[in-house]
Amino acid sequence: MRTELLAPAGNLEKAKIALLYGADAVYIGGKQFSLRARASNFDLEMIKELVDFAHNLNKKIYITMNIVFHDDDIFGLDEYLIYLEKIKVDAIICSSMIVVERAKLLTNLEIHLSTQFSVTNSSLANYFYNEGVKRVVLARELSMAEIKKISQNALTDLEIFIHGGMCVSYSGRCTLSNYTVLRDANRGGCAHTCRWLYDLYEGDNKLSANHDFQMSSKDLDATAFVKDLLAAGISSLKIEGRMKSVHYIATVVSAYRMLIDDYYSGCLRDISFYQNEIKKAENRQTSYGFFNGDTTIEQQLYNQRSEVPTKEFVGIVIDYDCDNKYLLIEQRNYFSPGDTLEVFTPDKTTIQFKVKEILNEDYEILDAARHPLQTILLKLDISVPKYSMIRKVKDE
Amino acid sequence: MRIVARLKQLDEILKLINLEVDVFLIDTPLSVKKISLDMYNHLDEIASYKKDIYLLINKMIHETDIESLKDILEVAKKPEITAVVCGDMTVMVIAKEFGIEKKIIYQPGTFNTNSFDNEYFLIKNIKGITISKEITLEEIERIFKNKKTELSLVGHGFIDMFYSKRNLLTNYFIYKNIEKENIKENDSFRLKEEMRPDSLYPVFEDMGGTHVFRDKALESFAEIEVLEKHLDDFFIERIFINDEEYYDILKAYQDKNFVPEFLNKYQDKYNKGFYYQYTEKLKGELSEN
Repeated sequence: MRTELLAPAGNLEKAKIALLYGADAVYIGGKQFSLRARASNFDLEMIKELVDFAHNLNKKIYITMNIVFHDDDIFGLDEYLIYLEKIKVDAIICSSMIVVERAKLLTNLEIHLSTQFSVTNSSLANYFYNEGVKRVVLARELSMAEIKKISQNALTDLEIFIHGGMCVSYSGRCTLSNYTVLRDANRGGCAHTCRWLYDLYEGDNKLSANHDFQMSSKDLDATAFVKDLLAAGISSLKIEGRMKSVHYIATVVSAYRMLIDDYYSGCLRDISFYQNEIKKAENRQTSYGFFNGDTTIEQQLYNQRSEVPTKEFVGIVIDYDCDNKYLLIEQRNYFSPGDTLEVFTPDKTTIQFKVKEILNEDYEILDAARHPLQTILLKLDISVPKYSMIRKVKDE
Repeated sequence: MRIVARLKQLDEILKLINLEVDVFLIDTPLSVKKISLDMYNHLDEIASYKKDIYLLINKMIHETDIESLKDILEVAKKPEITAVVCGDMTVMVIAKEFGIEKKIIYQPGTFNTNSFDNEYFLIKNIKGITISKEITLEEIERIFKNKKTELSLVGHGFIDMFYSKRNLLTNYFIYKNIEKENIKENDSFRLKEEMRPDSLYPVFEDMGGTHVFRDKALESFAEIEVLEKHLDDFFIERIFINDEEYYDILKAYQDKNFVPEFLNKYQDKYNKGFYYQYTEKLKGELSEN
C-alpha cells in the first residue's frame, strides 16, 4: 500500500487545487463541528460537490469534526453524520467520544481520531482500533524513533503531520485562548495566544528584554524525514493549513507529491530540491519539530521575522484561448510588462516567459495588472491547463 | 463529597486529617507539576493513617513511559490505593491489563465537557471522570443531571492552561546565552504578556515539559453547596500556594464562617475561572489539527 498524501483546504477552489496538484485526499471542515472556524468552511452542498469531484479522480475527502463537544454543540450531530454517509465522504476526523459512538451507531463512516487527542503510544492507538477507529492522527510531539515503534505495534492506520503550523502545546490540552480572550481553542476559537510576546520574570526580577520571551514554534517541515516515514509504512502524510492560499497549497502539495513519487520510483533527488520548491511559497520559518527528539532553540521562534517566498504568486489560470493563443488569468498580485513570469501546472511542468503586453477582457492594453481578481489576458503560445499557477520570477 | 488534598510532607498528615481531608493525592514518577518528589516512597506510612490514597499520573504517556507506568500500576493494585488519577487515557488502557480499571479517575483537563462523556466511561467501568476546567457552572450542572459515573472537579487552586512537551524556559536561556541553574521544578517564574501588564502567568518547567497557569487561582466557596450535592471528589490544587494558605483553604471549605476572613486575606489572587464566563467558539484564525 502506498502512503497517502493528505492536504488541507479551506474552500472548494483550494480543495480542487490540492487534488489536482497531487494530493490523494483532502480534509475539509463543514460549517458545524470543525475547528477551522474562519477557514471558509463548506456547506453541505459544497461538500457533496467536492466529494463527487474527488471520487471522479479516484481520490478521497475527509470531514473534520474535531471540536471538543459541549452539550450545546450536540444538536444536529446525528443528522449531519447520516448526511455525510449518504454523500459518501470517505472518513470523518474527530476527537470527542460522542462523535465516535454516534457515527458507529448510525453509520458505517470510516472514523479517524484527530491529533486533538494527542495519541502518543501504540497501546492507546490499539485501544481506539478496538473502539472502531480506523486511523489515528498521531501527536506532533513524537520523534521518528517513537513513530517507528508505534508503527510496529499499532493496529490502526497512522497519519503523521509533515508540514505546516504546530501547536506548541499538546493539541487539545490548551486553554490559553479560552482564558485570555474568552475564545474556546478546542471549539475553533484559538487566538494564538501562544504566539504573543511575553516578558519572563523570576520573582520580581525581569529576565527578558523587550518582550522577547516567546513560546511560538517554527512551522513544521519534514521533508528530510519523509523517506523514513514511507519506509515505516505510515498510511498518510498530512499537510497543515486550511487557511493557506491556493498558491501555497499547490506548491507544497506538488513538492511532497514529487518527493513521495520519487521515493517509490527509486530516484529520490537531494532533499534540498524539494525544500527549495516549497520555499517558492513558504512565508514562515520552518524546522523539523520533534522528529529528531526533544526540541531545541532551532525549533522555536524568538523573533517575528517571516521568510520571503522566493517566488511571488500573481495569478491563477482560468482558461486558455487556443485560437488566439491568449492565457486568461485571474490576477492576485501586481505585475507589469517586462516582468518574467513562471507558469506552474498541476502536472508540475514549469514554463517561464516575459510579459510583453497585458490586456483586459475587452482586449484593452493595461499598463500593469494591479486589480486583484480582475480577469486579464497574456499572450502565450503554449497551451496550459486551468488551475495552473502564475508566479513572478524575482530579479537576482 | 470527598476533599482531595495534595500531600507535600509526612509531618503534615495529621494536620490535614484535622482539616478533614478525605483523600491524599500522591505524586508518582509519572506526575508533572509535582508538589512532592518524595511522598510516593512512603505509601505504607501514609496508608497507616487509614485515609484514601490516590496516585497521580498526569504526564502524557509516550511509548518509553509504558514500563514505568506498569510499575506504578503494580503498586496501585494494593488495596490501600483507592484510585489512580490520570490525564492520558493510556493509563486506563494499561490499568485494564492489571485488572484495576475500576480505580481510574480520568482527568485530562479538557475533553470531559459534555453529558455523554460519563456515559461512555461508565461502560468502560472506571471509577469516574473529572469534569473539564473550561466549562461553566451551568454546563457542569447539566452534566450532573446525567450523572452516571463518579464525578469530580478541580475546584480550587492554580489551574494550568497549557502543557507543552518543549522545555521552553531552558531553551529561552540557551537562546539568550544565559547560564541559569535551578530551572526545573522552580515555581517562581512568571510570564507577563505585553498587552496585559497587570497579569502574571505562572510558568513551570519539569521533566514533562512546560506548563503555563492562569494568573488567578480558582476558588469555589460560593459554588460548593451546589457542587457537593453531586461531586464525589473535590480536588484542591497546591502548586504556587504556600503551606499556610493551603491549610487556610482547607479550613475555609470546612467552615463557612472562615470564608470571609480567607477572602479578605487572599482575595486579590483569586477569581471564578469559567463558572460564569462563557467562551466563544468559531472565531479562530488558526493553525491546523
